[in-house]
Amino acid sequence: METDLIIVSEYCQQSRIEPSFIALLETEGLIDIRIIEGTRYLHYSQLCDVERYFRMYYDLSINIEGIDAIRHLLKRMESLQSELSSLRNRLRFHENSASYLEYPEEDCF
Amino acid sequence: MAYIDYYKILGVDKSASQEDIRKAFKKLARKHHPDLNPNDPDAKRRFQEINEANEVLGDPEKRKKYDQYGEHWQHADQFEAQQQYRQQYGGAGGGAYWSSSGGSFSGDEGEFSDFFESLFGSRGGHRSGRSAGFRGQDFNAELQLSLRDAAQTHKQVLTVNGKKIRITIPAGVENGQTIKLGGQGAPGINGGPAGDLYLTFVIPDDPVFKRLGNDLYVDAPLPLYTAVLGGEQVIDTLSGKVKLKVKPETQNGTKVRLKGKGFPVYKQEGQSGDLIVTWRVEIPTHLTEKQQELFRELQRIS
Repeated sequence: METDLIIVSEYCQQSRIEPSFIALLETEGLIDIRIIEGTRYLHYSQLCDVERYFRMYYDLSINIEGIDAIRHLLKRMESLQSELSSLRNRLRFHENSASYLEYPEEDCF
Repeated sequence: MAYIDYYKILGVDKSASQEDIRKAFKKLARKHHPDLNPNDPDAKRRFQEINEANEVLGDPEKRKKYDQYGEHWQHADQFEAQQQYRQQYGGAGGGAYWSSSGGSFSGDEGEFSDFFESLFGSRGGHRSGRSAGFRGQDFNAELQLSLRDAAQTHKQVLTVNGKKIRITIPAGVENGQTIKLGGQGAPGINGGPAGDLYLTFVIPDDPVFKRLGNDLYVDAPLPLYTAVLGGEQVIDTLSGKVKLKVKPETQNGTKVRLKGKGFPVYKQEGQSGDLIVTWRVEIPTHLTEKQQELFRELQRIS
């Protein structure tokens, strides 16, 4: 048995999340539930996402379809941010390479 | 400590209904919520302001107290003492200002302002009660490394929220790169797992080497005579000094590429980028009469 699996019913009880909400996320393909010997498990690495979706759903009143769309956009944003950071580093490189010698005006013919 | 205009923060009029306040709050929360604006400290700060404004204006009791004292909040205690006195001796008004209800978000909304706490006490920072939380909060931290430190795998001890963490930084990390250290965030609640620590590297420019991806660039001085006649020249690399052969008649600005002498590739042990050396031919200065004469001679015969 993997140790990084959490029993869904226990998680719902501890975190006061409705089991139906977890089922909704699973139905819409936002999370994966593993069933081992009839018990439903959630992988540890998905807890962060579940809690984020919970806040979006209950606190921001965003429906599941909206959450799914936001999830895609956030992934895209993350990839763009990483590209931006890499381009910033390139820009910094070129800016630093372009050093000019100050030329006195009287020496220009 | 300055007065905070919660109506202005939510963009509503003082006569706004509770429903108008709820709508304004939801609209602004959807815009600035940290879950929708990851790694944006401005959005996080703005969301905390909105959340605090809603905590006050969204609760009729707190809103009443806020409206009553407004900019004279510093005298709130004095006023309340007088009111209690009046109530006790047949005066008008007064009432219980404390209510445990409220619509604060269940996220990591953080602390409320000093202004809020002086008016309502520190009890205002409660969670909504919908979710008690399970997984610990994630932490974000920045770590400054020199280019030379980033070029080698090394261990470092960090102090995050008073806790010492020993980490191994793999060679080849880039400026602005974020790595996740699982389980190094805040402890979980009710037996839940700890949050994660997100560490972002800040690597300032090096005075000698410039980095572009995994390649390094360096300007190397080359004496005029070596540039003209050819020879050998010692240059600095990240891993020490290297002797290079210089071809005769090497021009100023000529670039040479040294395979595998650049920056280590992140998480690919034994692999490195290239080092690109740009020769900067040095023109001799303070020439003697004799040297000047020889240059003139060269000029005549060229």
